[in-house]
Amino acid sequence: MDRATGQKIFVGTAVFFVFVWTIFPFFWMVWASFMTDSELATGVAKGIEEPTLEHYGRIFGLTETEAIFGGQTKAMGQGFVNSLIVALPTALIATFVATLAGYAFGRFRFPGKTPLLFTLLLTRTLPPIGILIPYFILFKTVGLVGHPGGLILTYLTGIVPLLTWVLMGYFATLPVEVERAARIDGCSRIKVLWHVIVPMGAPGISAAFIIAFLFAWNELLFGIILTGGTQAQTLSPALLAISPLTAVGYSPVALFCAASALSVLPPLALALIFQRYITRLNIVDPVTIRDE
Amino acid sequence: MTSAELQRRWQKRGGLTDPQFALTIVIAVLLFNLIIIIIPLGYSFYLSLHDTNVILKKTEYVGFDLWAEAFAEEETQDAAIKSLIFSGISVVLTFALSLAMALVLNLNFPGRGVLRALILLPWAVSEVVTATMWTMLLDANFGVLNGILAPWAVPDGQVWLNPNWVLFWLSLAFAWHLAPLGTFFLLAALQTIPQDLYNAARIDRAGVFSRFWHVTLPHIRYAILIVLVVVTVEAFRQFDLVFAMTSGGPGTTSQILPLLIFRYNFQFSQYGLASAASYVLIIVATILAMAYFVLLGRQRKQVRVAKPTAAVKAA
Repeated sequence: MDRATGQKIFVGTAVFFVFVWTIFPFFWMVWASFMTDSELATGVAKGIEEPTLEHYGRIFGLTETEAIFGGQTKAMGQGFVNSLIVALPTALIATFVATLAGYAFGRFRFPGKTPLLFTLLLTRTLPPIGILIPYFILFKTVGLVGHPGGLILTYLTGIVPLLTWVLMGYFATLPVEVERAARIDGCSRIKVLWHVIVPMGAPGISAAFIIAFLFAWNELLFGIILTGGTQAQTLSPALLAISPLTAVGYSPVALFCAASALSVLPPLALALIFQRYITRLNIVDPVTIRDE
Repeated sequence: MTSAELQRRWQKRGGLTDPQFALTIVIAVLLFNLIIIIIPLGYSFYLSLHDTNVILKKTEYVGFDLWAEAFAEEETQDAAIKSLIFSGISVVLTFALSLAMALVLNLNFPGRGVLRALILLPWAVSEVVTATMWTMLLDANFGVLNGILAPWAVPDGQVWLNPNWVLFWLSLAFAWHLAPLGTFFLLAALQTIPQDLYNAARIDRAGVFSRFWHVTLPHIRYAILIVLVVVTVEAFRQFDLVFAMTSGGPGTTSQILPLLIFRYNFQFSQYGLASAASYVLIIVATILAMAYFVLLGRQRKQVRVAKPTAAVKAA
């Protein structure tokens, strides 16, 4: 065997392992979602004798459901809508604020830049549970528990610093020539931002929007505490409500798998569509970019 | 026209200078952020100094008693140790995976673009769904792993999520979920390494490992540090995955600090103790982050000094 063949085999094996590692968990979850409960109980890693769509049917309200899970499966659909109601404004506000801040940090030098940046990033490192407890008690007194607005506000605490970091690095990589030309023509900085930076940086800004959307769509802890069991309950808490971990007696594993598989469709679609933009974001070197 | 001239002309018209403009925006954003963070943190501090009795609806000022209790409590110490173990294993696993996948994706092979898109998927799904998937793999009764390993004399119904190993499996699931992010940071850095350096090293008869050690690693040093920062922070603040996958079990063997605080607050309504304990978490996280920032700053200077020498060597 010559060197080139050996190399090909090595590369092929490595690629194969990365592929399997990534897909393996997805595959078995979807696989299990087509099993009947009794079949699943004897093991997932085998052929399915009678594939069934009943779990998906239950979630869409097409199949009869045991009384105890009737409410929960309905809550799944409601969770989809609620998560959308929360995730869209969160992503919009966060992207807007972070575009401004990212532009300022990424394009300009100003006194105190590094300490201000670190202060912003430090807020990102705060554990969510530390923020949640006071917010929960405050919201209880003002009636924001069970209201999407409360959830949006708490999500912004975590996501704005992250997006600022991301967009700062991205804006710094955009060419300055067009911007300079616009300034010479008498555009104000806000106009430059709106008419030059935003169109030119649309890929990065949309990637930032996706990151914020995914965060809000996926989040569990704040969702459970601030909306769990209410009309505004988001998707992750709704999912956990039919988790075999918390369900007593009858274990709806297959139903849970089907619900989980459905819940990842929007994030997966977004990640695939915007994959090119997301991976192009340069967030490796946020501090130095402008100095070098 | 230079930007300095432009600046001057702008100022004559009564506008802000560039730094003033940037500072205005930044301070406005920072203020917004600090308000939505400092108010709850301040309130949490107030709570941590008061013993609240929910049933009697009585609140009593107790000073730092609850902080002392949080530190002294065996349960808290235990949870803190579990947090450290979980974060430690998670950082190692996530980093190793990120680097391995980045190196593979940096190779030349057909279908590279497709694979690059695919590996993003674990990052896009929620921790709850990650927990679902890994439960399907690891469950003792119907899990995939036991099903596949059954012919190889693995005792039927091997309990993978046992007290000794549960933190490891949680970390592995965490690594599966977060590694794509690290992969992309490292891949971006890998792709900036000039091919000439590898050719030069090959002429010097440097082997694969020598090339990796002397050419690749120095170039991606900074990216590595960033990945370590991001992963440590994420592991330390992680709640969703552990809560959804084991809820701290079996027993309390995977009850990391955020889960314990959650129980103090939402199961036992011990707002004061929970707030005090969460301050312990906040303080450790802040120290960790600051240490990293200092490290980053130092590394940055070294990178800047190191770059020209590497270029000279290559020439």
